Amino acid sequence: MIATGALQQIDKLLGPRGYLDSADDLKLYEYDGSVDKALPELVVFPRSAEDAAELVRIAHLHRIPIVGRGAGTGLSGGVIARAGGIVISFARMNRIVEIDLANERAVLEPGVVNLEITQAVERDGYFYAPDPSSQKACTIGGNVAENAGGPHTLAYGVTTNHVLGLETVLPDGTPMSIGGKAPDMPGYDLTGLLTGSEGTMALVTGIIVRLMRQPELVKTLLAIYDTVDDCADSVAEITARVITPAAVEMLDGVMLRMVEEATHAGYPMDAAAVLLIELEGLKEAVEEQAEQIVDACKCCRAREVRIARSAIERELLWKGRKNAFGAVGRVSPSYYVQDGVVPRTKVAPTLREIHRISEKYGLTISNIFHAGDGNMHPIILFNHHKPGELVRAKAAGDEILRFCIAQGGSITGEHGVGMEKMELIAAQFPEETLDMIARFKRLFDPECRLNPGKMLPTGKGCMEIRQPVGMQI
Amino acid sequence: MTIVPGSAEELAECLAEANARNRQVTVCGNSTKDRMGGPISPSDVTISTRALNQVLQYNPRDLTISVGAGISYCELSGILAEHRQMIPLDPPFSDRASISQRATIGGIVAANTSGPRRRLYGSARDMVIGMTFATLEGKLIRAGGMVVKNVAGLDMGKLMIGSFGTLAVMTSLNFRLHPMPAGTRTFVQDFEQMAGVMAARDEVLKSRLQPAAIDILKMVGGYRLAIQAGGSPAVLDRYSRELVRARVREGAEEDVLWRDIREATPQFLREHENGAVVRVSCLLSDLGRVLEAWPVQASARAGSGVCYGYFEQAAELRHPATGTSAVEFAPQGFRESTELWPRPGNDFAMMKKIKDMFDPRGLLNRGRLYGRI
Repeated sequence: MIATGALQQIDKLLGPRGYLDSADDLKLYEYDGSVDKALPELVVFPRSAEDAAELVRIAHLHRIPIVGRGAGTGLSGGVIARAGGIVISFARMNRIVEIDLANERAVLEPGVVNLEITQAVERDGYFYAPDPSSQKACTIGGNVAENAGGPHTLAYGVTTNHVLGLETVLPDGTPMSIGGKAPDMPGYDLTGLLTGSEGTMALVTGIIVRLMRQPELVKTLLAIYDTVDDCADSVAEITARVITPAAVEMLDGVMLRMVEEATHAGYPMDAAAVLLIELEGLKEAVEEQAEQIVDACKCCRAREVRIARSAIERELLWKGRKNAFGAVGRVSPSYYVQDGVVPRTKVAPTLREIHRISEKYGLTISNIFHAGDGNMHPIILFNHHKPGELVRAKAAGDEILRFCIAQGGSITGEHGVGMEKMELIAAQFPEETLDMIARFKRLFDPECRLNPGKMLPTGKGCMEIRQPVGMQI
Repeated sequence: MTIVPGSAEELAECLAEANARNRQVTVCGNSTKDRMGGPISPSDVTISTRALNQVLQYNPRDLTISVGAGISYCELSGILAEHRQMIPLDPPFSDRASISQRATIGGIVAANTSGPRRRLYGSARDMVIGMTFATLEGKLIRAGGMVVKNVAGLDMGKLMIGSFGTLAVMTSLNFRLHPMPAGTRTFVQDFEQMAGVMAARDEVLKSRLQPAAIDILKMVGGYRLAIQAGGSPAVLDRYSRELVRARVREGAEEDVLWRDIREATPQFLREHENGAVVRVSCLLSDLGRVLEAWPVQASARAGSGVCYGYFEQAAELRHPATGTSAVEFAPQGFRESTELWPRPGNDFAMMKKIKDMFDPRGLLNRGRLYGRI
């Protein structure tokens, strides 16, 4: 229960339409795009950075846990209010504060939807590079918290490479401005430290991002294969030939058929796998590289390589890719997405291992992922109504991620550790690293009230969890 | 006393021992940037990473490499060049005949130095994907990893970049690599007025071209714009068509031009014992004003927003009215007596807390960083 005193202060600050506290409403904020759930006790909607800072001060005064929330599209349980308390939703802080094309910068409130940034500047020939698949819904605040990626990060880098400054509030209500529009501000790079800290160290209330010039030409290719190995080999071949596409996405046969039935993007139904490759840049470079890619793919026994002839064809190919999770939802009652990363040369053996794990657990696993940078997204299909399937899905996911670690990879490339992988992180990092992360957490948030129970294994963090760990679908 | 540990473990032990005995420590690689940053308080022991100079892991097809912090950028670039790969940091203090005088990769990352091609490739924070650092407690902490996309755990590596050895000692670093372009071509154009050079730069920024480097040099009597492009012959010819007013520099001539730009600061410091280099981080739109306000030679990463002013007498240096200005290099005496950095903002308290967490008694490179941390 939120203390009456706190509720009165919040009511006074935001008015009766500035928060939700009924059981029905709170239910809508108990989940994100992952599989875990927990009920918050109050959801508040600040309209300004000052509101947000005041809310953090009220929570500090009454010792209430707080969790920042954007659109709730996250895939690791990052916005689940595990300890109850207040969810601070940035839904009403969704203004683009400033667009400064001459300096290639935009100043944003955290609730701005990712795609809206590009939409605001595309007529002038600019774009914002990181493009998570959920970019039509996910917010820049959430992107900063999770250090979000996307298909085009192969060429342009992830969120942290595009964030130059942050307005933040520390858990005790102290405001802290870090970085700025200009590069290399003096002192320690706190912007770099906080980007990807999963909302556990400071609440972000303002963001400065880099805008980039749109490429002159974009070409999208679809390479079709009769075996998964040939498809994976093409990725290595493209790298070896020093071609640098903007995106290299791979879909296996299971995924292809689900996507094609849902989207009719023109993917072949009988292929074992396809690569969706995008080239961007100067006309001369793109045209040359397209020829080189066709050659590299044919060299690796591609059955066919198609080049999108128009913007409509191109968008259709990408629609299939970006709507993939929706397509899975049509055929399977539940699914569990993983986010492991392996070195680029280990993509083929990792796919073979995922196939073995799929057979071992008797679960269908489809693959759609950022092959160019080794970021795997196996999607484990299961039915939560069937006893034991959820546990099996979780075990299969764990086994895949342990294999990724053994290949010298990581358990997460862009979704974050959250509460989903907090126990598994201990398999990736030595004790000393986890202890150091915990010390940073305590330094910023000594009372452990900001997004508690995330990122670090139970016992390494600094709080007791009121809500039990585990998925409750 | 200078200690040169032969392994990361040995280095961590040295730190733990210095900590136990409450000894002031100077951390360095090859000490190429002694005149940079705040003067370090007199120390009891110097620890150099220069013996940690091995390649730890390199599979060219993965486009990643892991190296000891003590390897020189020059040597590392040579190893990568055999596979037509690169770490395009272009740091100064790298082009010296003697190996012991070349900047180490650890020192480059600790000082966060970079060069002309940061317009296209970014700086250390965009290229480092993982590292191991040793703490005063004698622990080796691993952050990040050997894959290009990785959000597991906190990105502690970012804090070490530009920390000038004031928190911990980096013992190894992992980088993402870039393939070398098939060829390069440089375009040079001279202007008498600031307005002219800025208009030419703006035209490039607003064009579809994606040059690797856009530098402006302020010289006696005018400004020089130098643009480097990389790619296939067809791509380079496109640049030639669009930058038709510029003079083309290729081959050895081009290499010398960029080497001189990269090494401008070390060259200046060798020639001017009492000289100072001021560095300004500014908006792209303020860059012309910063350069114009300086009565001395200057240069700028004109596509990134970083300017360097070269003052032959440190005593005569001036901070421009715009941008965030810091004295980057100056003689010892000057650095002791003058405020080198801008007034700290409301983030300084947290920086201090982080320093205290790693080094509560201020033993590591004391005084070297912002606010004399």
